[in-house]
Amino acid sequence: MAMLEVSDIHSYYGHIHALKGISLTVDKGEIVTLIGANGAGKTTTLKTISGIMHPRQGTIVLEGERVDTLPAHEIVKRGIGQSPEGRKIFGGLTVLENLEMGAYSRDNKVEIQRDLDFVFSLFPRLAERRKQLGGTLSGGEQQMLAMGRAMMTHPRVLMLDEPSMGLAPVLVESIFEIIQKLNQEGTTILLIEQNAAKALQVANRGYVIETGQIVLQDNAANLRQNERVRKAYLGEE
Amino acid sequence: MKGKILLLLALVAAVALIAACAAPTAAPAPTTAPAQATTAPAPAAFKCTDKLGCIDIAPGAPVHIAYMFVTSGDNASLGTDTRYGGELAVDDAGGKVLGHPIQFDGQDSGCTAEGGQNAATKVAADKTVVAVIGTNCSSESVPAAPIITNAGLTMISPSATSPALTDPAKHQAGFLRTAHNDKVQGAVAAQFVYTQLKFTKAATIHDGSPYAQGLVTAFADNFKQLGGTIVDQEAINVGDKDMKPVLTRIAATSPQFLYYPIFVAEGGAIANQVRDVPGMEKVVMMGADGIFTEDFVKAGGKNTIGMFWSSPDFSSFGSGYQALVAAYKKKYNTQTLLGPFHAHSYDAMNMILAAIKKVAVQDPDGTLHIGKQALRDALYATDMQGITGHIKCDQYGDCADPHIAVYQLTSDQFSKNLMPETPIWKPGGPNYTYNPNP
Amino acid sequence: MLSKLSDRINPMDVMMFLIGGSIAAVILIGSALTLIHGKYSSAQWFDLLISGLALGGVYALIALGYTLVYGILRLINFAHSEVFMSGPFTAYFLANYLGQSGFLDANPVVGLALIFILAMLVSMTVAVIVERIAYRPLRHSPRLVPLITAIGASFFLQYFFRGLYGPNIKVYPEIKVLDAYIHLGIFRIQYTQLLVIVAAGLMMLGLHLFVQRSRVGKAMRAVSEDKDTAALMGINVDNVIVITFMLGGALAGAAGVLYLLMFPQVYFLMGFIPGIKAFTAAVLGGIGNIPGAMLGGMFLGIIEAVGPSLFLDGLGIPAPYQLKDAIAFTLLVFVLIFRPSGILGEKLAEKKA
Ligand SMILES: Nc1ncnc2c1ncn2[C@@H]1O[C@H](COP(=O)(O)OP(=O)(O)OP(=O)(O)O)[C@@H](O)[C@H]1O
Ligand SMILES: [Mg+2]
Repeated sequence: MAMLEVSDIHSYYGHIHALKGISLTVDKGEIVTLIGANGAGKTTTLKTISGIMHPRQGTIVLEGERVDTLPAHEIVKRGIGQSPEGRKIFGGLTVLENLEMGAYSRDNKVEIQRDLDFVFSLFPRLAERRKQLGGTLSGGEQQMLAMGRAMMTHPRVLMLDEPSMGLAPVLVESIFEIIQKLNQEGTTILLIEQNAAKALQVANRGYVIETGQIVLQDNAANLRQNERVRKAYLGEE
Repeated sequence: MKGKILLLLALVAAVALIAACAAPTAAPAPTTAPAQATTAPAPAAFKCTDKLGCIDIAPGAPVHIAYMFVTSGDNASLGTDTRYGGELAVDDAGGKVLGHPIQFDGQDSGCTAEGGQNAATKVAADKTVVAVIGTNCSSESVPAAPIITNAGLTMISPSATSPALTDPAKHQAGFLRTAHNDKVQGAVAAQFVYTQLKFTKAATIHDGSPYAQGLVTAFADNFKQLGGTIVDQEAINVGDKDMKPVLTRIAATSPQFLYYPIFVAEGGAIANQVRDVPGMEKVVMMGADGIFTEDFVKAGGKNTIGMFWSSPDFSSFGSGYQALVAAYKKKYNTQTLLGPFHAHSYDAMNMILAAIKKVAVQDPDGTLHIGKQALRDALYATDMQGITGHIKCDQYGDCADPHIAVYQLTSDQFSKNLMPETPIWKPGGPNYTYNPNP
Repeated sequence: MLSKLSDRINPMDVMMFLIGGSIAAVILIGSALTLIHGKYSSAQWFDLLISGLALGGVYALIALGYTLVYGILRLINFAHSEVFMSGPFTAYFLANYLGQSGFLDANPVVGLALIFILAMLVSMTVAVIVERIAYRPLRHSPRLVPLITAIGASFFLQYFFRGLYGPNIKVYPEIKVLDAYIHLGIFRIQYTQLLVIVAAGLMMLGLHLFVQRSRVGKAMRAVSEDKDTAALMGINVDNVIVITFMLGGALAGAAGVLYLLMFPQVYFLMGFIPGIKAFTAAVLGGIGNIPGAMLGGMFLGIIEAVGPSLFLDGLGIPAPYQLKDAIAFTLLVFVLIFRPSGILGEKLAEKKA
């Protein structure tokens, strides 16, 4: 059964019709990737799922419950975590406080501590810098913090919006390793990446989005072979 | 009425003009004019010749007298007191003048220049207004007087006492007052302090208002002339609450006496804090009519016990005054008078009613026509025995018969929330022996 | 070299620097002359300072309300002066009752506590209602729109309370135990002022700890940086905004009672001037910045009390106290020339928005 089921959603920025009927599903335990050109509507899709925007039409169902009319903070509680595009670290809060914010809607102190330890074990850099202000971290450290913070919501579906953006190649590698590790630990992942090649390496399935519509969907291996994908997104001839 | 007559006149004029221009074809023109004339009401209609225009009041319609008083905020008691005075005069007139009911309402002028300007603009825009009573504060009258004057109206202030308002160079034709001129009040205060309290070192505080500046200047001039020294002249802003810094400055000059003829909020703050400032524990205080209200005493607290005020001399008021006070306390259910200018307002209302009776033209059906210039002239020509004394106006609008006296608050009055009603001293009266704790 | 130098110098900067420099010169020369002149004793300077601290404490508490709301909504809550007025105005009736019945003199601590609680509750409620009715529906409108409703709300509240409690001035009862002094050598402090300073200090400390340490306080900081991301953390942004208004309201209500302990006159327009002053203090300290509001308030209070005597007396300017607001605003200009976003203000464009 689908963990997350998005059916025919339409989202708008004022009069701009950004999503024109997006449907996708993410099954439990999967890594699903959403690829598309700049401005295609990837971020908008994530924002709509996480409740920052509300679709004007269509439904979003998380494990049998409709969530498309809920406010964002309620959706987080139900298990959808997001690391937003551009990291969006709270610059005036320390690393530790940023992570605490991730756990804002949770009560179980023991579990929170366990997740915190887990995040620190994944990103030892963050542990070293727990008292440092988020705004003073390097770009890579901020990206780690953004992921760690999203993990602190203890999501069942973790949505990552361009986690490798602006990172050095070595770091990109380790971010993808961590994504896989998280997935192995049981987190379902919806991943947006400019780096389509990498994304299709780690993902089980993928969707291609163009101007607010899904134009292709298949398992990752097939997508990697697809002519259109290879030309437009993998930069191959 | 007036509208129709004017329309007719205009029509005639227009027709005549066309006729003159187009002489050969003028034939139909004369016939239109008489046709219009016959439709106009038959009786010899009133024709307004007043150079400021006339106010017409239909049968049964009220004669509208507007006030511009401060009816809210820290100085509300001043305005309410004068409103009561006006209302009591209307009551005494049976609520009517020349068979028309009297309508007495108005605008809150806030005791600020802007408030005075707003109130005057609103009153001037109201075509039903016959005459105006107000304003309370001199700061309001400064912008209000030209507006009222330009509207062809006349205002009588019961309490704006600044010398500037009737200064020949600045006086506005539409401004009169039944209140005294502070040249008198400041002089009386100085005389009292120097000759009765026998103090020679005084400090003053004003708040930048024309009223307080006028009084402080008059006081200082007279006090110095008598031989005293003004050791410090300070100024505060309206709205200031923390008076300790300015009082500390004053303390550094060691005055015996502090004169602050300002308003309730700031005056109250000074009274309230003065004893907390080292060096000011024993300084004797005096204010003027602007804070001769129970609100000031409430705001100032126990430090107001034994303090002095200069204010209109109630004891010099006419025989009708006791009845007025009794009516006031009864009608408004109060133990004490809210301020010192109710009688001046009462007199102002009577001046207006008398002038209306003098100049109004009444049609057989009861319609009243009041020429605005005629009314203004009649007001200037007032010569009547009012409650506050003999009211007779000079050409600059000072109509008062100024009797100023000095009052002191006793601890008994303080504990009963009463204001003094009997002066302790007046110029030419018996000497006063200083009692700091009456 | 020379031409390069002249290229680098912007005439506007030079002018600003000259203005700043002359302000500084006048202040320094004036202060020096005053002190040389020696008209005031050290006890008097101490009195002025205490006066300024007490007033500054009140300004700081009100300024916190402006800054908290600005920090979260980028909105200048012009109705905050009425929030400041509403609680203490309501509590007047309780205070008057307790005063008349003698309870206040018999149990000053309990009496005062009751007055504070009532005033804080009412101010808090008014603040929350204003947020709910005047600001929340306009959360996503252009910024000018809620600014206009803020002014409207301010007028509405003034006249609402005028209608409710009457247009006249009312006076808080005196609390006898507070009308005494503590002596420290040649110095002395009135209990009222001490209470105001200590209470304001404690409340600021409390607020600081709350914002820095508590879960909700951290959420407030997160929301003030980025509402959408805060929502992604599971923070109920609307709740946090309401809590912010509650905090600002409660502080304003308490500030109002403290203010009235010193200056006991209460009426419907009483919030206007302290409100403007506190807003100035918030800007001075750096609007949106909590320690900045505290610092700005204290600074403004002290300048108002000490400034006229210290800066202008020595220059022989008559009646300098009248110029205290002019001094305060001149110093505001001075600070803004050198630090355009206030003493502690960050460059908003960089971090926020
Ligand atoms: N706040 C906004 N207001 C108006 N239009 C917006 C807004 N945000 C996005 N859009 C528009 O919506 C469309 C989809 O944008 P979105 O951010 O979802 O693209 P994306 O696929 O994430 O692109 P990228 O790869 O560049 O991040 C674009 O045309 C964009 O211009
Ligand atoms: Mg995007």
